[in-house]
Amino acid sequence: MDNENEEFLKRLRETFRIESGEHARVMSIGLVELERTTDSKKQAEIMETMFREAHSLKGAARSVDLLDIESLCQALEGIFATLKRQEIALNPGLLDLLHQTVDRITLLTPYAEKEQATIRQQQIEEMVCQLNEAAKHASTPIKQAIPMPWPGVESPSRQADTVRISITKLSPLLLQAEEMISAKMAAGQRASELQDIDRMICLWKSESEKWKKGRSPGLGWDDLLERNEERLTALQSQVTATTKAALQDQRAFKRMVDDHLEAMKELLMLPVGLLVEVLPKLARDLARAQGKELELTIQGAEIEIDKRILEELKDPLIHLVRNCADHGIEKPENRVRDGKAPCGTIRLNFVVKDNRQMEISISDDGSGVDMDKVRVAATKLGLLQANAEKYPDPKETLQLIFHSGISTSPIITDISGRGLGLAIVREKVEKLGGTVSVISEKNAGTTFRLLVPMTLATFRGVLVRVRAYIFVLPAINVEHVLRVLEKDIKTIENRETIQLEGQILALARLGDILEFPVRENAFAADKASSRPGESYMPVIILTFAEKRMAFLVDEVLQEQDVLVKGLGEQLKRVRNIAGATILGTGKVVPVLNVQDLMRSVVRSTAVSRKAALPGITPARTGKILVAEDSITARTLLKNILETAGYQVATAVDGADAFTQLQNGEFDLVISDVDMPQMNGFELTIKIRSNKKLAELPVVLVTALDSREDKGRGIEAGANAYIIKSSFDQSNLLGVIRRFL
Amino acid sequence: MKEDQMSQKTDAILKERSRALAKEQDRTVVDRSFIEITEFRLAAETYGIESLFVREVYQLKDFTPLPGVPSFVLGIVNVRGQILSVVDLKKIFNLPDKGLGELNKVIILHNDRMEFGVLADAVLGTRPVALDAIQAPPVTVTGIGAEYLKGITGERTVILDAKKILEDEKIIVNEQVA
Repeated sequence: MDNENEEFLKRLRETFRIESGEHARVMSIGLVELERTTDSKKQAEIMETMFREAHSLKGAARSVDLLDIESLCQALEGIFATLKRQEIALNPGLLDLLHQTVDRITLLTPYAEKEQATIRQQQIEEMVCQLNEAAKHASTPIKQAIPMPWPGVESPSRQADTVRISITKLSPLLLQAEEMISAKMAAGQRASELQDIDRMICLWKSESEKWKKGRSPGLGWDDLLERNEERLTALQSQVTATTKAALQDQRAFKRMVDDHLEAMKELLMLPVGLLVEVLPKLARDLARAQGKELELTIQGAEIEIDKRILEELKDPLIHLVRNCADHGIEKPENRVRDGKAPCGTIRLNFVVKDNRQMEISISDDGSGVDMDKVRVAATKLGLLQANAEKYPDPKETLQLIFHSGISTSPIITDISGRGLGLAIVREKVEKLGGTVSVISEKNAGTTFRLLVPMTLATFRGVLVRVRAYIFVLPAINVEHVLRVLEKDIKTIENRETIQLEGQILALARLGDILEFPVRENAFAADKASSRPGESYMPVIILTFAEKRMAFLVDEVLQEQDVLVKGLGEQLKRVRNIAGATILGTGKVVPVLNVQDLMRSVVRSTAVSRKAALPGITPARTGKILVAEDSITARTLLKNILETAGYQVATAVDGADAFTQLQNGEFDLVISDVDMPQMNGFELTIKIRSNKKLAELPVVLVTALDSREDKGRGIEAGANAYIIKSSFDQSNLLGVIRRFL
Repeated sequence: MKEDQMSQKTDAILKERSRALAKEQDRTVVDRSFIEITEFRLAAETYGIESLFVREVYQLKDFTPLPGVPSFVLGIVNVRGQILSVVDLKKIFNLPDKGLGELNKVIILHNDRMEFGVLADAVLGTRPVALDAIQAPPVTVTGIGAEYLKGITGERTVILDAKKILEDEKIIVNEQVA
């Protein structure tokens, strides 16, 4: 019995927490509003609301036996009553106190641990005392409240996961659900019709069996034909009727399901206002803490977007507002010196764009991003070269602020300075399939622009084939699909490019970027068409965050709606892959992450460029064993590889190589084919059959340019086969890079 | 005198009985130290995993390989609309590949935080195994796979530690492109 009561009280208090959160939210918004407005009529209106909110909360607290919260509310109520009667005037100190009180209410859990109860009680009493004092005197200097941690307070991040849905949205949903009863009945009807048809066929069949066995005396050929005719006619009319009905059902069900799905999605659409209502207060608190003045304005708060997206946007927006308040807005005296109004402004605008996207812009009229500081920070991280005379243009430099670890703040504070904020913003926004960009002008301010989808559910995807596999590319990132002649692919600095509308675009082979095993590729040269350069290759132009890049695929299949799902718990994040979708056939197809693809291309480009430049040794890790009997070739290979940053050991023949492999740790083997004692093929076979070495990549380098030898190479289990005559160092390094 | 003898006899019988009863109890205690395992084949070897962590056994019809994942990830499968990854333990235990056939099954392992499939060359069924029949694996078994082993039974069935496998951070793929 007692247990039951306790359970009930616990549930009640859980409900109370949701309710108190709502009251406190309204009060908190009201307080910010109260501070901002000078219109006395509006002020009176707000005070009236606040008074009522405090009163309702007091009642709710009492009903669940939370006397301490009740006493806080009572004190609040008292203050608003006196404010309403204009017995005391609003002053900044009082507003601070009110904010603190409301904050406490939001954070107070319905239950405190026993040992903490008394401390909590004391602190609440003290606050109540302060409030009562404030209500009595017109202008009491309010002493700064103790910012010590309160017991029984939990982090504000834990929120009750409930959604308020208006009845106007819910009613049609119920109607639609009821409509589905007709679908259930129709399906039953169709099933029984099909059973009838099945019975007719069975009967007919058994009759005809009987006749064949001569057990239907007096039934001649003519009679049989006539009867079959009758049966067939009856059956046909039955089947036609059922088919017609089934088609009708199908149309009706399709509409029903689509409507229902749409309405369900609609339920999850919430106004962005819910998201941003905490921000004015946040901005206010930040400004006060730093001795700044600032105002936050919001436009487009009524726009509705998917709840799941809304939740993901919360952190990025808080980060951005903090960023503006902390780095952007200057101290009043500095602003006045620069000829600006002492009070800074942060503008938050929500605009609906086409394609069911929403643009969020957050701009401040502060000092702008300090490019020099960004460059210094980037150099420190090794993103820019210290002695580089040519820095990237300001636009590109600005993009660096999204890099993890970049901060222009000279010190690390609890608010910012660690350089993580903007990296997190970018990551979160991109996870939603959105983009983030920034523009900044010295002394005029900074604007961040976020473009995010308004719904999560489905998006258009383009299906492409690479080798034997199908992948989906988000249609939003697909700018063009075209076919280019092989001979129109030109290399610049050893990178493949194509020309599109006068612009040179980097071209990457999707198969290479996805790190498909090189074996298929390395031996594919044989398959080259009879007229080299004349065959067309499908190319897909992808865009992401104002970058464009061309990707070579094997086939572009079709465009369709896809529903993206995660890859399961174990695969938290896989490079280049955003998720997977299930096609109509039940086949699972990976959805590619366009941004990753571009980064992968850039990464591989950076590596090959560096490798091609003499004097710069990129940090390549990996230990390679070179097996070669000719000392010239051996030294040459060793040199190339060491210049590229690998650790190299050498062996004079296959047998020597195998001994070394067994005794040391290597990441790759490069072997000549023609060697005394044990040749390259034999070495490869020995490596493959050895348990420890079975997975070791083997690259065969040889003077033998014959089909049979390539075949033997494959058979032996080599991963790549490079002909010495076509041998050049970037080719070799390119092949090695695929394995290391 | 006779009565005394009788009572002695009765005593002895009662004692014997109580001993027998006590033994019976001992056996029920032993009963509680059985675990139920799902037995399956990997290459030529027989493995067992505690059924408590097995959500279901799923017929492997089709799977999608993923580029850029470690070799022990076979790929992803569609289990009634849910996408699950499948781990190939043979790659972890260094067993030879057998190729995929009709007998291949996916054993779906789960706990409250992790869920994925494990490729089996064939599933043999479930059976109870006494905990005290599980011996420590031979010392020659080392490497990454060794920490997943709970032990080995007299019939040479290798018992895997499902809890360890599910909780192992190393099995999680979480990779960014820098």
